[in-house]
Amino acid sequence: MAFAWFALAVLGAASSGDERAPERARPEFDLEVRPILADRCFPCHGPDAGSRKAKLRLDVRDEALAPRSGAAHAIVAGDVAASELVARIRAESPDDVMPPPDSGRKPLSEAEKATLERWIASGAEYAPHWAFVPPKLDEPPAVADAGWCRDELDRWVLAELERRGLAPSPEADRETWLRRVSFDLTGLPPSPVEVAEFVADARSDAYERVVDRLLASPRYAERMAADWLDLARYADTYGYQADAERRVWPYRDWVIRAFDEDLPYDRFATWQLAGDLVRAAAPAETPRDAELATAFNRLHRQTNEGGSTEEEFRVEYVADRVHTFGTAFLGLTTECARCHDHKYDPLPQRDYYGLFAYFDDGDESGLYSYFTSATPTPTLRLTTPEQESRLAELAREVAQAEARVEGLAAEREGDFQAWLASGASWSPSGPIARYPLDGYAQDGSLANAVDPAKPGATLERPKLVEGRVGGALEFSGDDNASFPGVAEFEHTDPFSFALWLWTPEPKPRAIVLKRSRAWSDAGSQGYELLLDDTRVAWSLIHFWPGNAISIRTRARLEPRRWTHVAVTYDGSARANGLAIYVDGARAEVEVVRDELWKPITGGEPGALTLAERFRDVGFAGGRVDELCVFDRCLTALEIARLVAPVESPAGDAPNVALGDIGVDALRETWLACVDEPARAAREALRAARKRQAEELARVEEIMTMRDRPTPRTAYVLKRGRYDQPDTSQPVEPHVPAALGGADGLPPNRLGLARWLVAPSNPLFGRVAVNRLWAQCFGHGLVATRENFGVQGEAPSHPELLDALAVRFAEDGWSTKRFLRRLVLSATYRQSSRAREELTALDPENRLLARGSVRRLSAEEMRDQALCASGLLVERVGGPSVKPWQPPGIWEIGWGGTYTPDTGEGLHRRSLYTYWRRTAPPPNMLLFDASKREVCVARRSTTNTPLQALVLFDDPQFVECARSLAAVALRESGDRDARVERVFRGLATRAPEPAERAALAALFESELASYRADPAAAERLLAGASDLAGLAHDELAALTLVASTVLASDASQTRR
Amino acid sequence: MPLDPRVLSRRHFLRGTAGSLGALALAELATAGAVSSGVARVEPPRRAKARRVIYLFQSGGPSQLETFDYKPVLNARNGEPLPDSVRQGQRLTGMSGNQSLLPLAGSQFRFAQHGCSRQWVSELFPRTAGVVDELCFVKSLHTEAINHDPAITFLCTGSEIAGRPSMGAWLSYGLGSPNRNLPAFVVLVTKKGADQPLYARLWGSGFLPSEHQGVQFLAGKEPVLYLANPDGVSATARRRQLDALGELAKAQHAREGDDEILARLAQAEMAFRMQTSVPEVTDLSDEPDEVFELYGADARTPGTYAANCLLARRLAERGVRFVQLFHPGWDHHGDLPASMRNLARETDQASAALIVDLKRRGLLDDTLVVWGGEFGRTNYSQGKLTSDNYGRDHHPRCFTAWLAGAGVNAGTSFGETDEFGYNIARDPVHVHDFHATLLHLLGVDHTALTFRYQGRDFRLTDVAGRVVHELLS
Repeated sequence: MAFAWFALAVLGAASSGDERAPERARPEFDLEVRPILADRCFPCHGPDAGSRKAKLRLDVRDEALAPRSGAAHAIVAGDVAASELVARIRAESPDDVMPPPDSGRKPLSEAEKATLERWIASGAEYAPHWAFVPPKLDEPPAVADAGWCRDELDRWVLAELERRGLAPSPEADRETWLRRVSFDLTGLPPSPVEVAEFVADARSDAYERVVDRLLASPRYAERMAADWLDLARYADTYGYQADAERRVWPYRDWVIRAFDEDLPYDRFATWQLAGDLVRAAAPAETPRDAELATAFNRLHRQTNEGGSTEEEFRVEYVADRVHTFGTAFLGLTTECARCHDHKYDPLPQRDYYGLFAYFDDGDESGLYSYFTSATPTPTLRLTTPEQESRLAELAREVAQAEARVEGLAAEREGDFQAWLASGASWSPSGPIARYPLDGYAQDGSLANAVDPAKPGATLERPKLVEGRVGGALEFSGDDNASFPGVAEFEHTDPFSFALWLWTPEPKPRAIVLKRSRAWSDAGSQGYELLLDDTRVAWSLIHFWPGNAISIRTRARLEPRRWTHVAVTYDGSARANGLAIYVDGARAEVEVVRDELWKPITGGEPGALTLAERFRDVGFAGGRVDELCVFDRCLTALEIARLVAPVESPAGDAPNVALGDIGVDALRETWLACVDEPARAAREALRAARKRQAEELARVEEIMTMRDRPTPRTAYVLKRGRYDQPDTSQPVEPHVPAALGGADGLPPNRLGLARWLVAPSNPLFGRVAVNRLWAQCFGHGLVATRENFGVQGEAPSHPELLDALAVRFAEDGWSTKRFLRRLVLSATYRQSSRAREELTALDPENRLLARGSVRRLSAEEMRDQALCASGLLVERVGGPSVKPWQPPGIWEIGWGGTYTPDTGEGLHRRSLYTYWRRTAPPPNMLLFDASKREVCVARRSTTNTPLQALVLFDDPQFVECARSLAAVALRESGDRDARVERVFRGLATRAPEPAERAALAALFESELASYRADPAAAERLLAGASDLAGLAHDELAALTLVASTVLASDASQTRR
Repeated sequence: MPLDPRVLSRRHFLRGTAGSLGALALAELATAGAVSSGVARVEPPRRAKARRVIYLFQSGGPSQLETFDYKPVLNARNGEPLPDSVRQGQRLTGMSGNQSLLPLAGSQFRFAQHGCSRQWVSELFPRTAGVVDELCFVKSLHTEAINHDPAITFLCTGSEIAGRPSMGAWLSYGLGSPNRNLPAFVVLVTKKGADQPLYARLWGSGFLPSEHQGVQFLAGKEPVLYLANPDGVSATARRRQLDALGELAKAQHAREGDDEILARLAQAEMAFRMQTSVPEVTDLSDEPDEVFELYGADARTPGTYAANCLLARRLAERGVRFVQLFHPGWDHHGDLPASMRNLARETDQASAALIVDLKRRGLLDDTLVVWGGEFGRTNYSQGKLTSDNYGRDHHPRCFTAWLAGAGVNAGTSFGETDEFGYNIARDPVHVHDFHATLLHLLGVDHTALTFRYQGRDFRLTDVAGRVVHELLS
């Protein structure tokens, strides 16, 4: 008996779900034939050229039916006997039979073989996969009982029922319907008052009023956001090893805002994919939110584990974006095609990298910073309106101060000429520190010729060698010299360095000088002078690459020759405020980066250091001599004088003829070194920049998308590996050919978004309406919400799905109006009570002959308890909160200690609960919350003993039970009324007599027990506030009643 | 239609798995009596050698060169640079990759051959050396990731990408639990400061139903989260609550006609039983003194590795399918000699005691014990090599694990690394192969244990994996 039952179930689930329909002489290819071919044949005879056997391809009709030289004809249309395919599926010998016994594929059943034969006999017609053909709107079918229908959609449902001789279920009672619609639209139960009002509402539009009230509530937007955040893999931490905190809740709040305002779904998608490009194209009409929405693409996990390869993880991030895009918007699984052509769907590997190329161009690093809290670039500034106006004012002040400095040259020309006429002598202020590097002092320090109190120190004492002037240091690559207390510059300070440099060979990369905690472990925050491809690179960095200024010489240094290198910076936070001088001459440079607006001094950058940085490439074999530090931006003339020092000791006059230097250079130097008003103007400018920088440092940011000026070239990656690009196969951004091209659209994310939301896109609308359908009916019309591909399940009502998709677009992609239709339909209003005749026929309720039943989600379960007990704090948005959780959960990770909030944070909706990826709240995981590490389109629903333990024993739920009991005690003096109040609060209906009796008996037994042991009652109530006026024994007893109801089916489900 | 929750649950089981469990499990299922809540309560097929696994996971990457892979050449050439001919341009981590010198570092610990099988063990592991004839070493394990997070995720789930089911979850899903009152998959983490974090993902259920996720047993008065009644609620009160809950379920079932209501009640009843069975198994006080002497004094301190080894034996006795211990602390980038001494002290005696204890109770015959980490360590020193100190960086190209117990070729060693302990010289065993072999020992064909998710049949071994028959007795 058991076996027969089970074989039937297997058949039903494995095939298209249409087993009950009468057998067709001409099987429908898309619904009946392709699923068989896809499952058993395509892995070796399908779209993936790499794994194709016998050069036979069965997914394309022309190839499947083509005569084959030297091999039997696979399919001969209309001729079963001549078709080798039939011979092979009927073969007895394990060597011949298909699929081969050792393939791991299930053998074909007799019914499946017969289907294939009938298909060949009837002409072996192919049809494109239903989901890749744009949806079309058919006339709703005629139905016998038209009066039953409340919405167009009901006609399709009813027609299918009538075809099978089934009747729909009667209407659910009003309480049940209200609980159902309240959870489906807001994730919270109705209050007892709302129930009473609705039950008593005799108006003809009572249902419509409820729905409109719910849709207008901010609760609706919060509930919608909770689902979307699973797809967006939203979390408050980065994931991976250290799993540090990141501040991305402004994205979550945007999602809430978008649903609250009913942002059309096409725009909702477009903004998330390409809001930055939308805004760049139309800045005036596009709100900042459009750009904020692109954080969607940055919510993947990120790592900062020491020693990781930056590019390896950057590629992972891009791949995650493709995967998320595919699942969330197309309902397609793309991951397989990262390594090889997709085995089932028409997604060749090349098309995968076509999608990849759209998401590959951000100015980003594959690693976030371990030592600083810098936001990984690119970012969006989340300035408040007050900050905007203050920053505008500060920018004006900086501009004025800059203009003042600029204007001085002309204004002060008279004084300059007088100075020239007087002989042009000056006493330059020298370096603030000078290290001859000629030898070590007794204590091992390196002498500072300017300020002996601040000598240099070393790590592992670099070797002393002959230098440019006296001795010099030669570094091993692991040792270093550092100079504390002399060069702790901010990005608003002008400063300069000068030194002599000798490199033993061309260097792909070498640290010459830096003040910075680390390379990628700190996003390179600080300043640094590098050899990069043997060129001199000079940079100030908040987070590399997106928040930095950097220039690099075009010429390479000559190895094995002492070269003088000086670098200057004027405090402007602009790349043109940086300069590099080689052997005294200003070097021609390229600008590598030009956006710096946050500090460069975070992450404990330590001292100015030569030749080594944590986990960076040291200056192995490199030599440095005569290091000078200046707290000014040196002029060209001053630098020239450093290279060829004057003979006269005081340096009180230029050592070359005026004619050689030029008046302009002298003027520049006079303004920089001599003229007092110029000095004062520069000081004023520095102060203005400092005020501006301090304000900017307070501006919050969020990771978003912004493409680099020059796109990366994407390649097909062999086996999906970051280090194996197939450089013979560069890939332009493009969409999969099988889904229609994106001709005429720009090859960027905006083009991708436009292609996505166009009416010709076969998947976008269907996937969306299916998800909304599942929200209201428990499962989608396509049960595999996450997969509309060939291996997904066929829709139960294909024409209805299409009609909904077309209507959704026609109606301006309004999610609220769409949901309103669904929940006001007759289909939705049916009772969910089990019907004997349906139990065997349609156990999954795919035919919709009754209402749906589902267990509440993790969020709903907790939110219902908080809401029913009056504890829920309803505040929309803001930073995530930390309700109580058992101690020790975070401690196995690196997250330190979880400290629960006090006050409001304990009782906010679960959507706001702080989500730490490596250690999520356990009570939510136990109720099947997704882990938020990757995009998830459908949660599983399980039923485990640990769930009962949460409902009975989790202090959060105990607190709710106690508060609900207190409410009931206060509202009524009558035992039965109190029990009823508790039950109604959680079940949204009156208890049945048996339920009432059981709970009353429980109350009495517990009351007696607590009366006998009052101390036990006190322990149960410990920590509770507002017990005033309540009998503790009664409260304790009623708490156990409430806790029992909480754990009951009536509370755990919405029916 | 009988209102038997088990029948109903079978439907649930099939909903997720129809056509994907393969002939093995389907055939077994057809004859199996009970199926509970998404779990196929199937005994491993008759050909299974092992009925359960205790996996002693050494997290952080224990050095193969200080434990079981003896490389005297490294001592002879101590301090010489790693030859390019050995490294062969293979990638290093960014932690030592930019060092100007990669000096070979010989182990500071003496090695000797032990037992009848004459296998090499370092002096740090005398107790392990004492049971060496029970062990089957795999010295040629290799993996793909070079950083902890991807590597440990790969070892525990068969994929570097998060979101895949863990080994134990696959077994729970495939074989179910023979014990009605304990979970199929129990996780025990040593209570100590961790150099590398451990995450719920490592014992997560991925896309399998979440009931298959590992249940962590914690040291302390509440061994499973939410297990204890609230203060002030007695066991008898809870019993009365459950009786009332039963009445509610009956009424609700009469109202709605949905069998799921009864299944939910059955789970609440099992929760009630767990409230007794879990404290019973985690309370070690009924163990005699000689057992504590065997496992070491640490075993008296809850949450230590030794206490967890002892607890693992108790769980195995009660039929728990998969017990996974995690012992962190093996990430020895620097100060390796001192750290290795500590780690050996924390783990050696109890690991060996577990083998001895299982054996004398007859449990080693059908229990598989595994010892190992997520990758090995470099043969060169990370940081400065001095006369008495060095460190070792991550090394995915070879590492050592051992197996013991059911179906394992005891007293042998399989696979060889080159004389530098850097590359594999013979018989490489990839992580997928290792997983395939583990499943094989449990009677499960790794290609048949699949789950369809997003249109694809996933398995622990992805599209690879070879059963390493040489490891099997």
